[in-house]
Amino acid sequence: MTAAGNEHGRRAREIALPSGAGSQATFGPWRPGSDFLTSLALLAPAAILFTVVIIIPILQSMWISLHDWDGLGEPRWVGLANYVELFGDPQFYVSLRNNLIWLAVFLLAPPLGLALAMLINQPLRWMGIAKSLFFVPLVLAPVTVGVVFTWFYDPAFGLLAPIARAFGTTAPAILSDPSLVTWGIVVAAIWPQTALCMILYLAGLTNVDEDLIGAGRIDGAHGFSLFRHVVLPQLRGATFIAFAVSVVGALRSFDLIAVMTQGGPFGSSSVLAYQMYEQSIFSYRLGYGAAIAVVLFLIVAVFIAWYLRRVLGEEARN
Amino acid sequence: MNMFSKGANRRQVLAGIAAAGTTLSMPAIAQTRRLVINSNANNKLRPVFDQIVAAFEKAENCEVQVNYADYESYNTSIRSFLVTNPPDICFWFSGERMRAFVRRGLFEDITDLWEERGFFAPTGALSGALAVENRQYGIPMQASFWGIFYRADILERAGIKAPVADFPTLIEAGRTLRGQNITPFAIGSRRPWTTAGWFDYLNLRINGLDFHMGLMGGQESYLDPKLSSVFDRWQEAIEAGFFLENHTSYSWEQAAAFYNQGTAAMMLLAQFARGQMTPEVLDASDFMPFPKVDPAVGNFEEYPVDSLHIPARAANKELAREFLAFFYQPDNLAQWIVPEGNLPPRNDVELLNRDKFLEKGMALLAAADGTSQFYDRDTDPDMAQAGLQGFQQFMVQPGERQAILERLEATRKRVFQQ
Repeated sequence: MTAAGNEHGRRAREIALPSGAGSQATFGPWRPGSDFLTSLALLAPAAILFTVVIIIPILQSMWISLHDWDGLGEPRWVGLANYVELFGDPQFYVSLRNNLIWLAVFLLAPPLGLALAMLINQPLRWMGIAKSLFFVPLVLAPVTVGVVFTWFYDPAFGLLAPIARAFGTTAPAILSDPSLVTWGIVVAAIWPQTALCMILYLAGLTNVDEDLIGAGRIDGAHGFSLFRHVVLPQLRGATFIAFAVSVVGALRSFDLIAVMTQGGPFGSSSVLAYQMYEQSIFSYRLGYGAAIAVVLFLIVAVFIAWYLRRVLGEEARN
Repeated sequence: MNMFSKGANRRQVLAGIAAAGTTLSMPAIAQTRRLVINSNANNKLRPVFDQIVAAFEKAENCEVQVNYADYESYNTSIRSFLVTNPPDICFWFSGERMRAFVRRGLFEDITDLWEERGFFAPTGALSGALAVENRQYGIPMQASFWGIFYRADILERAGIKAPVADFPTLIEAGRTLRGQNITPFAIGSRRPWTTAGWFDYLNLRINGLDFHMGLMGGQESYLDPKLSSVFDRWQEAIEAGFFLENHTSYSWEQAAAFYNQGTAAMMLLAQFARGQMTPEVLDASDFMPFPKVDPAVGNFEEYPVDSLHIPARAANKELAREFLAFFYQPDNLAQWIVPEGNLPPRNDVELLNRDKFLEKGMALLAAADGTSQFYDRDTDPDMAQAGLQGFQQFMVQPGERQAILERLEATRKRVFQQ
């Protein structure tokens, strides 16, 4: 709205006000039609929704985590006992370690996605088909990916067994080995994640300025130095988003674990999100599950704080 | 929608009143009586249940809606639907898993139905599985029996005499089979409940029913020295190469493929195992009880009983009672137990598929001195979750026994402290 239009609107409303109605409330920020009131009205739906579906459940989870509750009876106040138990629970450290493995491996997704994007962004014939093939894992539901990889790993009937036999060895039973199982699941998970990063970079590459590349060439840059100093800086936005979705994806990993191993064998492939689900749903310990949720939330919050600082900082600079 | 809101015009209001009128008069018309049933029945059982439901709809002139759900997801969602959106009837398990809901006031007391329709006489001792303090909270649908299914052809070829009399003989038989490159037992522990069959049976055969049920109820300790011989025998079997390699990678259904192939010779499972066998393998198979370990201990068997219940907050409790009575007729039960080869829940049911398995299962239970249901049905769900995971770990890493038992004991103390 232009300043003039705004001014006109205000005057019109003042005229429309019946005499005597011009009480205190019609001045200052609460005056009808003021910018403040308009922005409040526009913000309200999002703010209310956010409060109801995000803020209140978070606070409720925190409250539940201070109780012993089976989800049906009366919650019993236990203070910080759930947290004390959690920090002494060996399963918690197994889950935390697995979350870190997920995080470390998922950080490979953006560079892999970038490499793929550079590879298939070339104007060659049949590249469209190559693009769609690389795009496939993103279209598949995570459950499908999990089931396919479970079959692939099956030590007796899976595809991995004959492949290993062709090389003269026996394939390890990946999903049965406590030290391999998480890696096996992460490999399945990074497949669609790489495709996602590739898409982000492909979108970024369409915005790369041809003139800048030309200018770089004239200045003697070619090959890797051209990529490093001219192309990559222009992909900063895509890189940032790719890393952000990969970090969040690693921390909230759940579906593939539920499909492929249910956290097993004996909890060795569990992560915090899965442990929370298992405790709440199968062991009927909603308080303990909520405590795990709160710890996971705090870990994610650290990352989100960093993310928001970057985003807000960037916006302030522009 | 509020039909008296300002925006509604006269015609809408009239239509609304007309609609409300029909709704109000509905209960008077028998045709519109509706019954909602939530079920975890599998694909083999659904057609039979649908048939019984159709007959009931005709007999009572009512409408029945059956919501079938996948077994695993049903078992996790029942707690929420009992509270938020209860059906009129639900499938569940008798024993401790039923009692957990009864204690929380979620199941209707139907002792009146039992007395009125005379269910106690034909049901016999089984009625105790549906009772809490002498009140009945459901009706039994069917029962399972557990034991060792074996490939008679393979055992004969290996020179092993079946049924095997005692545990040392079973270990010997296992060694013989291993020597011929045959896995003695096909087991799939990806969902770890299958491992509890071994724990339950060894504990029942070594320490008897009273100690076992005491352990299930939280009165006995997991560090009790009585349990050492249970885990010693189990470890003996593990070290003799009894179990399928990489069994944590397979579900029990996948593991049954090895049995069908003939690379594994036996399975410790309930009668539903036959559902995974090919017709030829079913012919070549036979059934034997879990062998004796301590000859002084009586014959205690696993005997899980599935059941039907009326949620306490059901809308149509009267019609639901009618359905239970209808379902519990011997003729309907006779059909119902055929697909899975179950045992009937009452003694006047005509057996339509009297095969060798059913005969042996009935003989097994007739000779039993007492029964348990199964580990995850007899103990608290929270305890069961930890226990099954512990047993699974023990079967892979028997060296971790002490750490596992200490973890289970800590869980027992926490779960049963109240």
